[in-house]
Amino acid sequence: MPEGPAIAQLDLELRHIRKRYGDFVAVNDVSLQVGKGQFVCLLGPSGCGKTTTLRCVAGLEEPDAGDILIGGKEVTGEPPWKRDIAMMFQDFALFPHMTVARQVGFGLEMLKKPKAQIATRVAEVLKAFEIAHLAERRPSQLSGGQKQRVALARAMITEPRILLLDEPIGALDYSLRETVMLELKALQKRSGISFIWVTHDQNEAFSLGDHVVVMNHAKIEQQGAPDEVLSRPRTAFVAGFIQGNNVFEGRAGASRDGVLEVVTAAGLFRVPLLDLAAPAAGDALTFSVRAERLIENPGESILNRLTLRCVTVEYFGAFRRHVLEGAGGLIVKYDQFGALPPSMREGDEVTLGWAQDSGVLHRGPSA
Amino acid sequence: MSTIRIRSPAAFWLALPAGLWMALAVVLPVLLIVWVSLWGGTTVSPDNPITFDNYRRFLSNENYLWLIGDTLLQTAMIMAITGFMGYCIAYFLTVKVTSPGWRLALFLAFVIPFWTSTLIRAIAFVPFLGVNGLLNQALMGIGLIERPIQAFLYSRLGISMAQVSLYTLLASGPVVYMLNSIPPALREAAMTLKAPPIIVFWRIILPLTLPGIIIGQVLVFLNVLADFITVTTVGGNKLAFLGNLILLFYEGSQIRMTAVVSVLLMLLMLAGVAIALRIVDIRKVGS
Repeated sequence: MPEGPAIAQLDLELRHIRKRYGDFVAVNDVSLQVGKGQFVCLLGPSGCGKTTTLRCVAGLEEPDAGDILIGGKEVTGEPPWKRDIAMMFQDFALFPHMTVARQVGFGLEMLKKPKAQIATRVAEVLKAFEIAHLAERRPSQLSGGQKQRVALARAMITEPRILLLDEPIGALDYSLRETVMLELKALQKRSGISFIWVTHDQNEAFSLGDHVVVMNHAKIEQQGAPDEVLSRPRTAFVAGFIQGNNVFEGRAGASRDGVLEVVTAAGLFRVPLLDLAAPAAGDALTFSVRAERLIENPGESILNRLTLRCVTVEYFGAFRRHVLEGAGGLIVKYDQFGALPPSMREGDEVTLGWAQDSGVLHRGPSA
Repeated sequence: MSTIRIRSPAAFWLALPAGLWMALAVVLPVLLIVWVSLWGGTTVSPDNPITFDNYRRFLSNENYLWLIGDTLLQTAMIMAITGFMGYCIAYFLTVKVTSPGWRLALFLAFVIPFWTSTLIRAIAFVPFLGVNGLLNQALMGIGLIERPIQAFLYSRLGISMAQVSLYTLLASGPVVYMLNSIPPALREAAMTLKAPPIIVFWRIILPLTLPGIIIGQVLVFLNVLADFITVTTVGGNKLAFLGNLILLFYEGSQIRMTAVVSVLLMLLMLAGVAIALRIVDIRKVGS
């Protein structure tokens, strides 16, 4: 039974979902609230439980504990065909024996709509998704991008409250992905249907999601707005998983005026505590600094500084990434705008530093 | 993908042994049988005139027409029973049994009996179905019947029981293959599109396994039509189908009639396969 009152304004609410397969815990105490018409991305490495969580929402897996509420209605024990959802599968799961038109109309047929109404609606939707010319084709005669549109049309036609997407563009050519992403985002905004999008690609998650949920080892590590997750990773895992972070390990020293001294193998650094309580002196902790927030040849006022040797320089166009090595095998990444002239070469000895408020302290491993 | 090109010398030489074998062991004998079935006269001689009289005589005999009808009826019945049972077994083994260990065990239990030759299994039904046979003893043992049932052996019931058991695997195997080739996501996709399990089966699973059903039915059709062993051993000499008629004519040295029935049986088989191919393109299965 749900513990609290059901909130009708939420499209989806997960309360302490747990799912295990034998000894393997796939989902561990996952709670999530999705407001009306939100775009939520579940992000994490493979095997982190994001897909299992999605399948629990769909009703394809039954959680061992916890409650699932869709539109404020408890559905934990309900089968998939009784839930107000639709799902897009990774390889699209098109029915090979049905024409595109039949396929797209399948959901309406299941809702026992009159034939004429189905035909009109299917024609409309095919036109809206620009696949009207494919109506009589079978899935084997479609390209990847066309299959993706058909799968989306098939899922959207019944106008579900929530659309679940399991790596929906993972099977597409790389060149197609960006276009499809933009289209899907626009579609989501227009339709007002909540999207729950599972991906291991952080670019997808950060550019699409209103709300990003980072998962690891069956648990939610951090959730929030994309810029919040990006600028303020709460755990070492999140900082490490998101590209472009330098994660430092050390031990807590003294704290004064909301600034903690952290002793690392590479020296002593000052990191703002922000909303975290000061850890006891000597506690192991981690903090991170984004690669683009490092400053070359920092001025006297910058106290956090390191002397490093440049190992490789990679040019990505938009930015130039430098990999540098410090004492004791420390590896530091430093990113620079691609348009700037190169300032160091491989083998150069350089001093890098960062402003005190660029450091992000993480929660302790137990918190 | 083969690296040997169509119509290349390599392709020709590779096809030659099998082609020769097929020509000598299949095509030539079949042509001979057709030829003999058209013989007029009364002697065994290549100089016999060619005529359709043998066919006319056979097909104008009402008893023989009934026999053809009866053979087809028996075949249709066995196809229906093995088709249904085979599908149920295949569905159970591939969909309902989820533990790999159990699946293997049950699958082997199902398949291993079929490693024995059809002839031996047909003969083995005699002690099983007989008056003092295993089936009667078992039924009396559990108190279902008081006296042994005579009708099991040397009867149509016995033949049908034996044939069902002999040919269910043929109906089931192709369905197992087709069921295994359906991605689980299809079933799940249908369920998220609001289809309850029965509709999922009817609209997704059944159509996608149809080629398997048809292939299984063709195999059962051909085997039952050709089966004279079960009919003679389990049916005694009380019953005859087309296959037995060939044997009877042959033993009676009626070489022309033997050939006529053989040709008619082959035509029936060809017609059955042709119908099946119209429903499903077997060459496309598995691609």
